[in-house]
Amino acid sequence: MLSKLFQIKTWLLAAALVWLIHSVVTVEAADAVAKAATPTHAAAADHAGDAAVPQIKQFAYSYLTAFMFYLSICLGALVLVLLHHLFDAGWSVPIRRFLEHIAFLLPVMGLLFLPIAFLATEIYPWMTMNPPDHSLTTKRVLFNQPTFYVVAFVIFLLWTWLTWNLRRWSIKQDQTGDPKCTIILRRYAAGGIWIFALTLTFAAIYWMKSLQHQFFSTMYGVYYFAGSTWTTLATCYLITIALSRGPLKGVIFKRQIYDIGVLLFAFTVFYAYIHFSQYFLIWNAAIPEETFWYVLREKGSWWDVGMVILFGHFVIPFVALLRIDVKLNLSIMFPICVWVWLMHYLDVTFNIMPVLYPQGLHLTIWDPICLVVIGSILYWVFKKSFAAHAPYPIRDPRLKEAITWHEEPDADSVTTQGGAH
Amino acid sequence: MAETLKPYALLAEFETPADVMQAARAVRIAGFRRWDVHTPFPIHGMDGAMGIKNSKVGYFSFVGGVTGLTIGMSMIWFMNKYDYPIIVGGKPLFSPLFAFPVSYELTILLASFGTLLGMCFLNRLPKLYNPIFKSERFARASDDRFFVVIEASDPKFSAVETRKLLENLGSKNIELVED
Repeated sequence: MLSKLFQIKTWLLAAALVWLIHSVVTVEAADAVAKAATPTHAAAADHAGDAAVPQIKQFAYSYLTAFMFYLSICLGALVLVLLHHLFDAGWSVPIRRFLEHIAFLLPVMGLLFLPIAFLATEIYPWMTMNPPDHSLTTKRVLFNQPTFYVVAFVIFLLWTWLTWNLRRWSIKQDQTGDPKCTIILRRYAAGGIWIFALTLTFAAIYWMKSLQHQFFSTMYGVYYFAGSTWTTLATCYLITIALSRGPLKGVIFKRQIYDIGVLLFAFTVFYAYIHFSQYFLIWNAAIPEETFWYVLREKGSWWDVGMVILFGHFVIPFVALLRIDVKLNLSIMFPICVWVWLMHYLDVTFNIMPVLYPQGLHLTIWDPICLVVIGSILYWVFKKSFAAHAPYPIRDPRLKEAITWHEEPDADSVTTQGGAH
Repeated sequence: MAETLKPYALLAEFETPADVMQAARAVRIAGFRRWDVHTPFPIHGMDGAMGIKNSKVGYFSFVGGVTGLTIGMSMIWFMNKYDYPIIVGGKPLFSPLFAFPVSYELTILLASFGTLLGMCFLNRLPKLYNPIFKSERFARASDDRFFVVIEASDPKFSAVETRKLLENLGSKNIELVED
C-alpha cells in the first residue's frame, strides 16, 4: 500500500518535472522558429531576447535568486528559534541548536550579499532609471541608493546581533545550566520577533519586490515569510532525520518528527492562503499598478510556472500531507521535502526572473553554479559551527520534558516492559 | 427490586498517570477488547499504551470537505453563469477565483459537520445512559483519579481472574459495576 503510494508520488514528481522542462523547451523552440521564419522579427526578438542580456546581468539575477532562496532557510530557522522561546515550547528543545546555527548563518549571508550590493545597478532598474517614472518619484523616500545600502547594512547588523545572542545564551546554558539563560533568551525573542517581522519585510521589498518598483502589495513580506518558513521546515525535517541517527540519537522521538511534519503541512496551507489572497485581491480590484506584475507572469512559459507553483507548491503537498501517518513515513516525506526545495526555488525564480526574461522561464548555467556555491559555503560554515558545540541544548530545563513526553516508540518495546505479567 | 442485576464492568482505580499507563499496557497485552481508560486530563502516550489505532473520523471530514467544495463551486457556477448571468466588474461569468472564498468556507463548514457527525456516529453518541455512572467513585475521574474499566461483555472477562489482574497492577480500589 505504502510503496504503491510512494510510486504514485514519484510519478507525480516526474510528470511535473517533465511538464516544467517541456514548457521551457517549447518556448525556446518557439523563439528559434520565430527567429528563423522572419528575419526582421528575428532581429527584434534578438534585441529583446536572451542574447541581448549581458552575462553580468544573467549572473547577477541568478545570484540574487540563489541568495534569496538560502536567505529563506536562514530566516525560517530564526523564526523557529524565536517561536520556540516565545511559546516556551518543550518539544523543540532537541532541534533548537542546529536551528540556532542555521540562523547564525545570517552574518555569512551578509558577506554573500556583497556581490548584490556591487551589482545593484545591474539588478534593480530603478537605480539607473533616468528620468524616473511617476512611481519612482513618489517612492523616492524608499528607493534611492543611499537608503538601499543603509537599510541593507542595518538589516544585517540587526540579524547578526539577534542570532548571535540567541546562540550565545543557549551555548552558555550548556556550561552553566542556569535557567536564567532561558529567561534572557525569551526577552530576546520577545523583541526579536518584531525585528524579524520588520527586517524580513524590508528585505523582501528591497531585494525582490523592488525589481518592479511600481508594484504594490501589502502581502509581499508575509508572502516571502510563508514560503521561507515552509522551506525551512522541510530542511529541518531532513536534518532532524539525519541527526537522529547520529549526534541527536536518544533525544529525537516520533513526537519531534511528527510535529515538524505538522508544521510543514500548516505552512503549506498558510503559503497558499497568503499567495491566493495577494492574487485574489489584485485580480478582483483590477488596478493596472498592481495587475501588471501578474500580467507579466502569465505570459509565455511563466504561465506554466505559475501553474506548477499552484499545484506543486500547494495542491500536491497538501493532499500528500493530509493523512496523519504520512508525517512519519520517510518514503513519502523525503521526496516531499526535496520537492519543497524545488518549489520554493521556483517560486523565488517566479518573483525575480520575469524581469530579465519576460518571454518565459529561462535557465542559465549561472543558476546551478550560484546555488551550489552559496549552498556549499553555508554548509561548510554550518558544519563547522555545529561540530564546535553540543549538538543540542544539553542543559536546557525543558529538555527532560522533550524527551519524556513522547508517544510510545512502538508496540514491540512495550511488550518487553509488560513482560513481567 | 424485581430485575436481577448482571455484572456490567470492573472498575479499577489508580492514583497516578504512570500507574494507569502501566495498567493500560498490561490490559492490552492480556488481550482484552472491550475496555477503556478514564482520566481527568489527556495522558501523552496513552493511545500507544492502549494500542488505539488512528481514528477514522478523518475520512468523514474529508468527504465533508470535498462535498463542501463541490457544492460551493457548482452553486456559484449555476447561479452566476447558468441561471442568471450578469457581468460584474468586467469579470468572467464564472471563475474559480472569485468562487473560491465561498467554496472554501463551505469546505470548512461541511468538513467540520463531517467531523462532528462522524465522531458521534463512531462513538455511538448520543448515549443517554451508561451504567458506569452508578459508581460514586467514578466521579473522581474528572478530578484526581485514573480508572481502567473492563466490560463484562469482553470475551476474556472473568470476575475473579480479571479482578486479580487489576489487583496485581496496583489498583487499591476495584469495584464491580452491575446493571
